[in-house]
Amino acid sequence: MEKLGLYLGCNIPFKAPDIEQSFRKTFPVLGIEVEDLEGATCCPAWGTAPSFDLDTWCAISSRNIILAEDKNIDLMTGCNSCFGIMSEAKHFIEDDPARKKRVNENLKAIDREFKGTSNIYHISHVLYEKVGPEKIKESLVYSLDGLKAAIQPGCHILWPSDVYHVKEKNSFFPTILKELTQALGAEVPHYSRLEFCCGMGGMRSTDVEKSLKLFTDKLMSMKEEIDPDMIVTTCSSCFLQFDMSQQILKERGMIDFTIPVFYYTQVLALAQGFDPAQVAAISQTPRDAVISEIQSEKRKINKG
Amino acid sequence: MSDYIKLDSEKISEGVKTITELGGHGILKCVQCGACSAVCPGVKAGFPVLCRLLIKKVLDGQLEEMIEESSSWGCQACNRCTEVCPQGVRPQEVVFAFRRYQANELAFSTSAITSQMNLHSYGHAVFSDARELRKKVGLAPEAPTSAYNEKAQKEIQTLLENSPMGELGLY
Repeated sequence: MEKLGLYLGCNIPFKAPDIEQSFRKTFPVLGIEVEDLEGATCCPAWGTAPSFDLDTWCAISSRNIILAEDKNIDLMTGCNSCFGIMSEAKHFIEDDPARKKRVNENLKAIDREFKGTSNIYHISHVLYEKVGPEKIKESLVYSLDGLKAAIQPGCHILWPSDVYHVKEKNSFFPTILKELTQALGAEVPHYSRLEFCCGMGGMRSTDVEKSLKLFTDKLMSMKEEIDPDMIVTTCSSCFLQFDMSQQILKERGMIDFTIPVFYYTQVLALAQGFDPAQVAAISQTPRDAVISEIQSEKRKINKG
Repeated sequence: MSDYIKLDSEKISEGVKTITELGGHGILKCVQCGACSAVCPGVKAGFPVLCRLLIKKVLDGQLEEMIEESSSWGCQACNRCTEVCPQGVRPQEVVFAFRRYQANELAFSTSAITSQMNLHSYGHAVFSDARELRKKVGLAPEAPTSAYNEKAQKEIQTLLENSPMGELGLY
């Protein structure tokens, strides 16, 4: 069984631990052993060290990568921002020997050294490249056949593609999450704003109204063009934005509907038959009805 | 008299040097084509001084005049700009170099303060006591991260305090 270091980031363990639980349940079923990276910190988020000092950013990111290096394993993260930030930091260090020297000088103060032996994966890359849609399909107990999903890949697994060692064939027309969601049996129609920003991140903390403007454009594109039964994402930040901001728009009377939102491994865990009280328990936007639908008797896959 | 911009070669050189040293190495390659701004979610949402215009203002020697500009803090760091730039400017790196210039002059967004404090205290920019929530979903109450690990907290505090960030009086 392949072993990967589970890098949790911040959103998942403290805001949406049911997503963390869905990793811990689904990956072993698919032949991936997840190992904790004890003492991992923030990636560090864009608004912190990357906004102040490039070498400090690289030192903090590399410390997280070193935790995987020490175990001789690669690192896997469920947050797009963490994937982007740590991948870029690794690129900045490996692209500039003088920086690598400075970063390692800084790391000496905590008795650590960055070597660069561990790769960084996003969970969607692991599911797509190491596991594959066929094996995912074989692991299912329930089928999502006939359900329609709008997918939200998120920005930071797509760009800048030249620093990522796993990438889409066309980063402005991503297909990895589409194929992973189709493997569950769901229909995944295209909508025009597929690769658009959801407005989370620095934009939301700087100006929430501007963030909501982008979010509304994206949500309405999904609703009007494909009218999905659920939204499926592999970004924890996008998940929080879709979950929280639909409630704001509803309270303001700007929408008269809401669409249930799932992190991909949550809906995968549900389709594998895991307990919703563990793998899909925390959301502001209601999703109980679609969870019951997914785990209904009529959707059971006959493995006979 | 018209209110046109008077170009000052010393200010232009100083601005370019500052941005280059802070990580915006590609700034001089910019031909102002605007491809970056065309795909920028920040520009679409209404933050006016991002990508092409931010670069233009630096190249016009207006770095100091922009120090309070909040647009840079609306940058999502999504790197669409970097992906489409035909000149290899890597505009996101220029925007973040400008942010570093602002931050080191303490002209950063107030929204960034809590995340800095959390990073220093817990090793997490986003942190809340989620022990009950974690138990509820069947997980160990304390996440296996720096949040409950004194050695890890000490390590990140050492890295932050020994860095230029440690000199800003944030911690």
